[in-house]
Amino acid sequence: MAVFLQNLINALQWGSFYALIALGYSMVYSILMLFNFAHGDIFMVGAYIGFGVSTALVALTAMGAFALPNWLILVLTILFSMFLTSFVGMIVERVGYRPLRDAPRASAAITGLMIGIILETGNLALLGAQRISFPPLIRTATYDLGGVYVTNKKIMIVVVSLGLALALHQFIRRTRWGMAIRAMAFDYVVVPLMGVPLNKMAALTFGLGSALAAAAGILFGVAYPVLDPYMGILIGWKAFVAAILGGRGSILGATLAGFLMGFIEIFVAMVFPSTLRDLIAYSIILLILVFRPHGFFGEPYSARLRL
Amino acid sequence: MQATSDKRWFKRLGRSFSQVPLLGWLLGALVAVALEQIGGLSLAWAVGLPKIPVLFGFLMALKKPLLVPSALLYVVLIYVLPIGVIARVSASPLNRLAGKLFSSSLVISVVIHLGLLYATLHVWAGISDYRLLVLKLALIAILLTLSLNVVNGYMGEFSCSHPGFMALGAYGASICTVVLFVDDKLFGSALLPAAIGPFFFPLALILGGLLAAVGALAVAIPSFRTRGDYLAIISLAFMFIVKSMIENLEIVGGPRGLSSQPDWANLPTVFLWTVAGIWIINNFVRSTIGKALNAVRDNEMAADAMTVNTRRTKFIAFCFAAFWAGIAGGLFAHVLRYVNPSTFGIQKLAEVLAMVYFGGLNSVYGSIVGALGISLLGEALRPLEIFKWIIIPLLLILVMIYRPTGLIAFREFDVVKLLQSKQHSEKGV
Amino acid sequence: MPLLQIQKMTHYFGGLRAVYDYNLAMETGQVCGLIGPNGAGKTTIFNLITGIYRATEGKIFLEGSELNGLAPHEIAARGLGRTFQNLLLWRHMTVLEHVKMARYSKISYGLFGAFFGTAQRHREEAAIEAKALGLLGMMGIKHCADQVVVNLPYGVQRRVEMARALAMDPKILFLDEPTAGMNPEELAQMMEIIRQVRDELGLAIFLIEHRMKVVMELCEHIQTLVFGEVIAEGTPNEIQNNPKVIEAYLGKEAVE
Repeated sequence: MAVFLQNLINALQWGSFYALIALGYSMVYSILMLFNFAHGDIFMVGAYIGFGVSTALVALTAMGAFALPNWLILVLTILFSMFLTSFVGMIVERVGYRPLRDAPRASAAITGLMIGIILETGNLALLGAQRISFPPLIRTATYDLGGVYVTNKKIMIVVVSLGLALALHQFIRRTRWGMAIRAMAFDYVVVPLMGVPLNKMAALTFGLGSALAAAAGILFGVAYPVLDPYMGILIGWKAFVAAILGGRGSILGATLAGFLMGFIEIFVAMVFPSTLRDLIAYSIILLILVFRPHGFFGEPYSARLRL
Repeated sequence: MQATSDKRWFKRLGRSFSQVPLLGWLLGALVAVALEQIGGLSLAWAVGLPKIPVLFGFLMALKKPLLVPSALLYVVLIYVLPIGVIARVSASPLNRLAGKLFSSSLVISVVIHLGLLYATLHVWAGISDYRLLVLKLALIAILLTLSLNVVNGYMGEFSCSHPGFMALGAYGASICTVVLFVDDKLFGSALLPAAIGPFFFPLALILGGLLAAVGALAVAIPSFRTRGDYLAIISLAFMFIVKSMIENLEIVGGPRGLSSQPDWANLPTVFLWTVAGIWIINNFVRSTIGKALNAVRDNEMAADAMTVNTRRTKFIAFCFAAFWAGIAGGLFAHVLRYVNPSTFGIQKLAEVLAMVYFGGLNSVYGSIVGALGISLLGEALRPLEIFKWIIIPLLLILVMIYRPTGLIAFREFDVVKLLQSKQHSEKGV
Repeated sequence: MPLLQIQKMTHYFGGLRAVYDYNLAMETGQVCGLIGPNGAGKTTIFNLITGIYRATEGKIFLEGSELNGLAPHEIAARGLGRTFQNLLLWRHMTVLEHVKMARYSKISYGLFGAFFGTAQRHREEAAIEAKALGLLGMMGIKHCADQVVVNLPYGVQRRVEMARALAMDPKILFLDEPTAGMNPEELAQMMEIIRQVRDELGLAIFLIEHRMKVVMELCEHIQTLVFGEVIAEGTPNEIQNNPKVIEAYLGKEAVE
């Protein structure tokens, strides 16, 4: 039982990463009927921007420019990086997706993949191949809850991601922009004709998604402090799968599917040798998609590729 | 004034070369590479190059920019000039010959053309081992790209499982050859004498291809019910499953990979398989059965109403494409004589997709151009190291923006037109 | 035994009753019409017969053999050709390829022929091409054979669909609003083509149409469908004078 609970906590932590990233995929899809295949790499860029911001803040504090407690640095890092990374997302949209609005969807998928490669390589060229360590902003504290060990980092990760998902949910429910996003998810052909500015909406969703990915990146950096340029690939693809499982344009769906993804992975690793993790996790996903082809929540994704 | 006369001169040159039959170009190329073989090195020294430029001077130009003029001169003297002169001079007799060959027997005409092409490649690759390797890999890339085009271009699904099929083929063929003909640590001593090996090799490749085709069922069967994004994910999951299955199979070496494949994938073998693949795939996509793929892509409901068995069509497309990807994988494993599962991951997927979409969907020409273009570009830009992976993606993004379906999309590959004498166009003009 | 017989066909979409107790009997050479207001379920009936939907209840027989439960392509291959209300063409294919494609089920060279380009394949493809060109000639669009369909004018696209449906040698041709969106000139041509098809190819035609002129001139037997139920059927004359039909089309006051 204790083992189960211990793994449950790990699964929640990984699920948080997947959920935050999956939200970005899902939102962009609901506006453009396209997946942003560079999203995993935006997660990586977000982590690096977070690294840059936090290092700068730590250095400034050390020089005595101002005195900030570590937790405030972390909060500022998250907010700043989300802000900065959202521009990265918007640039990606402007360069790679807007010119291809009317092109076959597969072509846009290719540009997305290529932008991803450029982001990875660009990072490698700029910062070199050595891995970078995220500054340790909070000291790990471990709580023993009857044999189950919980660290403050894990609690923070889960709480922050759930908070962000909730904030997004409120944004989509309550604001005018959110309403436009919902309308677009419902019918992306007619709604732009009703005066909803497609370009702004696309930029908005890319920006929001990228901000969430940046938050995921920093939280990832807090939990696993070593960053490398290829860190976004695998986690991005898994979150992408989660987004599909969640169903089109569903915040709840993407969040839950993200956590589901975490559960599948962690519990497979718990029962089977860890080398079998990907094999079994993907087999389960394959089975889910074969027998429940339209995900769990929300509208089904497009069944047809425009060519 | 000067500009217009320049333009006219250019146009006239273009027109006079438009009458050169394929035979003429091939002959020119053969003479050019023969010249390089005989006098390449002395010419290279004469123009101040340390050695024969292996890839048309690209590598050299990027490593030592000062040598660009010399490399350019070399390329002009060795390739452009002989090819141009011979193609032009021999145009009219060769046109007659091409016409005669064409009217007597298509098969003989094709064999002669292919023979010339092979001779050219053979001599060109004879200069260095590096050229040979690049050439073999490029030919395999053509096969792989074309097979992916069957699903992604002709049938319009976004399949991501090709590295998986390739891995199945690579491992299937490698296991056959290594178990039967090689003494190695994993499988023990050889079961059959190595002398009969090369004859058995095609069988091993086909076995690998069939293994991939069976694996393709995992994607083909869900494709009956789902299309588009979901199928893309299913195929992606399939790729990850194959990769991680091989990683977990200690019997075939697990993550360390499988090595010591016999050296049977020589240039003629790879060339023949690639030609056979292009021929069969082109035959297929031009038949009405093959066109059913296009019908399923453009409107499945209409296809159904017009008696097209859509399930059979999808089934054939996936298994057929997977078979050729498997063959390509088997050849790949025997060219490198080493495979490991991490070769067949996301990176490979991005590479193959890039080749297909760069060259053009629904087009055999496109696949050839895409595969050759990206693999030669990849080699030529090697001196740029990491920046290579910024330039190639940028190029591909530009292609996608300006030609979203690729450079040469939706063009039929018509062998008859290719081999015909070009004389008749003279009468037309 | 009639060519096509439908007995008590009923269909529900979820809880919604789309078609109720539909019956039909058709003979070779006959032209039947199905009219009714928008949303009456006319296209649904076509989709039920051609197997795109499975009827909740009822039986469909073609020359005495049951069609229920067959896949759409199998039903089509038995001899049910159709066109679509909103033109379902293959946008990247040429006109000739469209027509050739409808011979799919009749191809006998198989995969081997497709892969290796056997002599049998070349013979068969040549025969299919000749037949296709013949049909295109009949439709008067032979000159467009090598063009991609999306570039063609609407009237020509309609004819491509018609040629395509005819290429499968149908026993019955289902035309879903064959003249929709056509100008008077194209309309006259299309009616001429329909007559020609009936006279020369010896098949039954079943058409959905909104233009009364077309229906009254072409059809021998007409059914009127309202809310999924046939409220009247008979000869054009009977239909024109049936008060129920007038009510359905013009409202109650018109009858009184």
